Amino acid sequence: MSVGGVAFAVLLILLVVSLYRGWSATGSVYSKLPGQVWLAQAGTVDPFHSTSLLPAGRAAALARVPGVAAVLPVYARHLAFPLGGGGRADAYAMAIGAPRGTAIPAEARPYFPAPGHVVIDRVLAAEAGVQPGSRLVVLGHRLVVDRLGSGGNKIVQFAFLNPAEGRALLGEPGRVSYYLLVAAPGASLGALERAAVAVVPGSEAHTSAEFARAFSRLVSSGFLSVVGVLVGIGFVVGGAVIALTTYTATVEKARDFGVLKAVGASASFVYRIVVWQSLLVGLAGALLGIAASAVAADLITRRVPEFVTDLRLVDVLGVFGAAVLMSIVASFVPVHRLNRIDPAMVFRA
Amino acid sequence: MTELLRVVGLTKVFGSGRTEVVAVDGVDLTSDRGEITLVMGPSGSGKTTLLTMIGCLLRPTSGRVLIDGLDVTALPSREQPRIRRTLVGFVFQTFNLLDSLSALENVEVALNIAGVKGSAAAARARALLLEAGLEGRLDFPASALSAGERQRVAIARALANGPPLLLADEPTANLDSRHGREVMDLLRALALGEDRGAVVVSHDERLRAIADRIVRLEDGRIRRIAERRTAAA
Repeated sequence: MSVGGVAFAVLLILLVVSLYRGWSATGSVYSKLPGQVWLAQAGTVDPFHSTSLLPAGRAAALARVPGVAAVLPVYARHLAFPLGGGGRADAYAMAIGAPRGTAIPAEARPYFPAPGHVVIDRVLAAEAGVQPGSRLVVLGHRLVVDRLGSGGNKIVQFAFLNPAEGRALLGEPGRVSYYLLVAAPGASLGALERAAVAVVPGSEAHTSAEFARAFSRLVSSGFLSVVGVLVGIGFVVGGAVIALTTYTATVEKARDFGVLKAVGASASFVYRIVVWQSLLVGLAGALLGIAASAVAADLITRRVPEFVTDLRLVDVLGVFGAAVLMSIVASFVPVHRLNRIDPAMVFRA
Repeated sequence: MTELLRVVGLTKVFGSGRTEVVAVDGVDLTSDRGEITLVMGPSGSGKTTLLTMIGCLLRPTSGRVLIDGLDVTALPSREQPRIRRTLVGFVFQTFNLLDSLSALENVEVALNIAGVKGSAAAARARALLLEAGLEGRLDFPASALSAGERQRVAIARALANGPPLLLADEPTANLDSRHGREVMDLLRALALGEDRGAVVVSHDERLRAIADRIVRLEDGRIRRIAERRTAAA
């Protein structure tokens, strides 16, 4: 029962932390795409709120900028996807052109679908009732769902198209939305940005990290702060559960501790037993809780895609350590109670 | 025989004023090595209170308890646990074993408390349990043992650290006649086997058979002390 109490506390904390992480990861897709610098129309606040239009046909000139290894034209805008019930869902759609010979990292390949295919966020897929292989008609274009992507949530969802459909669905004639610049190894991003802006009049440069943060702010300014409070509450409630569990387990064993005192155990001997037991319970409970969290996060995300979770190793290790530490600290809660145990109680039937 | 226990003017008063109760009133008692002293008396006569004071579980209001010449009542409270693990061993009416532990572990715990650890503790505990006739029961959880077996484990635990004085509170009260007889014989054999002494508190008339001295306690006072020859008569 004690182990179960600690496991429940760890489950509670980890689920809330993973929810926080999951929603914090909004925009993390930018860190997976190739390229470090986004050339956008001047005045672009962020990709979500602003429409960026730049003249097409500048890729070759940008490719000659010192430090630029590759230039990828990007078409992007909000696009309405049909939902199963007849409604429509808004997603931020991008189509990234990759000139022949551009090295695409393995983790970025899912964002470069073949012609006629689309990669949509799993949250959007759940809303639209589609899965890989499903067919969608978007603004008269027939698209096959290539695979499901991650990084979206109830507020922001991403979709990726092939440039062939991207130009038709997202682009303006003679315009691209962005130029994504891949920096050569060792190149100075600052110098590259300045030189690139000079090549495309009316443009400004943003790093991928800045765009990722812009998306993250969409969530963090509202919902994430609420989840942050929940994380705090989770830790307090989890800590209280662990403390109460340890206290209850000690009180339940009061007679056994009385027996130990009666047969000559010193106070420090009894404390050592309580601390040792708490440590073991903390370890076992934390391990059980972590396993339960992994299963629960997966199950919940499958059933409720909007419940975006990201169970990270660093969080698992942190919560594991915190749970064990809390168990040890909690073992000092019943010290007063242990002190009051009268060893003569063992003579009472 | 040499004197092991001397109780001088031992008194315990609970409460004060109108709620004052004198549980033990000026008891004088001696018990020698190799001797079992049986304290009998009706319920509420102060038997258990007397035993808890001798065993350093309860501070007397006045009087002294000397075990092996050491005035344990003069020692500070922090010294009492040391006395309980070195000079006295307890056997309880309700056994008071740790149910989640095995028979062997119950005895080992008592040794651990006294600083004996690992294989030394295991070997000592095993030897005591075998001596108590518990072959084949060493690894049984205490909760899975019969009442008689549990009391045998309790006796082994009481003797684990080789205390000179064994204190038993109604050791046969929860046992049927056969197991009661076995425990009595074990007490007699083990309690006195290593030049120990024992004070046994009980209502059980059968225990007269193993007693060397019988003390009759009523209203906290000693009414009569009978030596074995007298008791048997």
